[in-house]
Amino acid sequence: MTNEVVDVLIIGSGHAGGTAAKALTEKGVKCLMLNAGPVADVSRHTQRKAAYELPFRGFKPPGKLEHVFQASEYNTNVWVDEQEVPYTFDPKNPYNWVRVRLFGGRSLFWSRQSFRLSDYEFKGKSHDGFGEDWPIDHAELSPYYSRVEEIFQVHGAMDGPPQMPDGNFVLDKEPWSESMQRFIAAGKPLGVPVCKQRTSRGRDGLASSVNLLIPDAEKTGNLTSVSNAVVREITVDKNTGQPNGVHFLDRLSHREMYVKARVIVLAAGTLESTRLLLNSKLANSSGLVGRYLCDQIYGAGITCSVPEARNGKANAKLMGGGAIVPRFRNITTKDQRFLRGYALNVTSRNGPLEPRNFAAYGAELQRKMDEYNGSAFYMTIMGEVLARYENHVRINPDVTDAWGIPVLHVDTKYTDNEYSMAKDAVATGSQMAHDAGFEVLSSNTMPNPPGYSIHEVGTCRMHDDPKKGVLNRWNQSHDHKNLFVVDGAAFTSAGWQNPTITIAALSMRASEHLAGEMNKLNV
Amino acid sequence: MKRREFVRTLAGACILPEVLLGQQTPSTTKNPLPPPPAPVPWTLGLNSKTPQPHTDVVDDVAATDPTFFTPVQMATLVHLSAVLVPPGNKRPGAVDAQAPQFLDFLIGDSPAPRKQLYTGGLDWLETESHRKYSAAFAKTSPEQADALLKPWLRTWMSDHPPTEPHADFVNIAHADIRTATMNSKAWNDAVDRADGNAQQMYWSPIDPDTSADNFRAVHQRPSPTQAAPKSSHTTPSYPH
Repeated sequence: MTNEVVDVLIIGSGHAGGTAAKALTEKGVKCLMLNAGPVADVSRHTQRKAAYELPFRGFKPPGKLEHVFQASEYNTNVWVDEQEVPYTFDPKNPYNWVRVRLFGGRSLFWSRQSFRLSDYEFKGKSHDGFGEDWPIDHAELSPYYSRVEEIFQVHGAMDGPPQMPDGNFVLDKEPWSESMQRFIAAGKPLGVPVCKQRTSRGRDGLASSVNLLIPDAEKTGNLTSVSNAVVREITVDKNTGQPNGVHFLDRLSHREMYVKARVIVLAAGTLESTRLLLNSKLANSSGLVGRYLCDQIYGAGITCSVPEARNGKANAKLMGGGAIVPRFRNITTKDQRFLRGYALNVTSRNGPLEPRNFAAYGAELQRKMDEYNGSAFYMTIMGEVLARYENHVRINPDVTDAWGIPVLHVDTKYTDNEYSMAKDAVATGSQMAHDAGFEVLSSNTMPNPPGYSIHEVGTCRMHDDPKKGVLNRWNQSHDHKNLFVVDGAAFTSAGWQNPTITIAALSMRASEHLAGEMNKLNV
Repeated sequence: MKRREFVRTLAGACILPEVLLGQQTPSTTKNPLPPPPAPVPWTLGLNSKTPQPHTDVVDDVAATDPTFFTPVQMATLVHLSAVLVPPGNKRPGAVDAQAPQFLDFLIGDSPAPRKQLYTGGLDWLETESHRKYSAAFAKTSPEQADALLKPWLRTWMSDHPPTEPHADFVNIAHADIRTATMNSKAWNDAVDRADGNAQQMYWSPIDPDTSADNFRAVHQRPSPTQAAPKSSHTTPSYPH
């Protein structure tokens, strides 16, 4: 066994690796999947607890996970520890790298919003001249999107404008609540479309690779998985110059291991895949590995109150439901302030409003919270961050992680394009709230630090020209035909959309192509 | 019996599956095996039916020993907590929930910027109180405290508290004092269960990485500083 050469070695077990494993094993390809962390067993690792039972009363343990705003004391243990696997950045330009190394990765915890990219993203350069077009378009990826939507059970309505293509949905037939209808009406004169949310329902509400993808791969008998395998570097055959295996360490014992493989599929998550390529000094004839890091701006938005729902008058007819405002800037008109655009996540909620929405304390605050209870209406931004050459990651040779592997230095920042977008989102949202008769309680135009959205993409972008991209149209390295990167690193641009179903569709397409090429003995 | 031999006997008993099986399902066996030779392996008693001692939350039986804030800062924080989160509506206030004492621990354990926010903010409040009322903040009336605090209250969105000096301290401290109060045992005891001051899913460490203790590890924990010279008897030894 130990000297056996694996057909395909998949590094990573999230949606990218899980989809690759399913697609490849179902075509009869033997796969070995390595995951850097352990398997999370909810029955063994979780307990219901009140906050007072925890050492820090529910506050995030001080000094831990300072760049994971999403973490709380309840879930501190699921995120990658910044001391164990550090990364560096200039303190002036902080970066929030939010990582999960449990088996299944971040697919265990994602928010499940599921939007297709449109040709306004795939062919962005043709539309506005910025950046590069992807080597593929929506029509080419559409059949794979449909199959992913089937697996993920994407719930949505067929109400998308051209910039948000419809798909293979479990149909949302719920009527809009009255507060949403007023918001929709307020958007009409401004040319702001409001559509039903699109969310993966998966099974029992979980749409993870561990329940939707990996079980199918295991059923074929062609998948072997190893947990706690921290990959140090990809090795290269001295004669051919092609990748031929990996060195990895056992996470707990630090035992050094080696495995040989015909083909290597990287699915470790955008920045971990890129870190591995950089540490292995591979696939970089373009010099672009690590370049064009982008994501989406989050954190800007508005919190409102629907006056008619106050004083205990909120009900299900008036309040409730979610909506997506797909990007509407720079579609049919040209905005002078910024390129591309942003989406708004909209939520109407019949529940309590957070105390920070009132400049009051004590009894007065309690009165306000009682009065406003049930009237919450939220808008938050998801704005496209432009793919720029200067926004990049590189290896920091002076710092290593707990296994002695050199870490990433992240050098990225937002520009006026992103800040202008955030300001416009708050101004437009406030206008719509005003026109709909809502009261704006709080707003914020300052985006969270880059990385916060957990939508980091790019750094191994696809391009038909080997000088302008790291990967070809099949997520395959231009330099090494037996090396694939199937996670978000392949993105040529970020779009405003949550990247997950695009990652899964690309991974499925690339993996089936790879299986075909292996059959033809081309790889 | 020497201790080592005793342990060996136990180990021997552990690898007799038919004996153990016979013990667990006596009714299904026509001719039950004789009981195993004493001693019965003690590990058999550690099972899912072993009674668990009940322990209480420490906040119910003991008080925090504040060590981080100065006595004046602590007095300011206690009064600030009393003003911002008073008892009411059958709920305890911040002082009943020992929120100031808890924050002394939390902030004292926190990185420097958060410590600075609190110590700077409490000192500022004390100075302002002396300037305006010639009295310690801890001695101000509710109206006086309100006049000092109200101008700095802001509305804000998650992860984006005010950054303006003084407003940052007042709003962040307000949020922290509220959270420390509402997450306390005292609050939990006061609210109706139907109110669902809910428990949430807590993740314990998963297959915890002890690599820092591993001799191969690159990042080893610094060895603890020896406070006193090593004596020849550092560990207690038990008679065999």
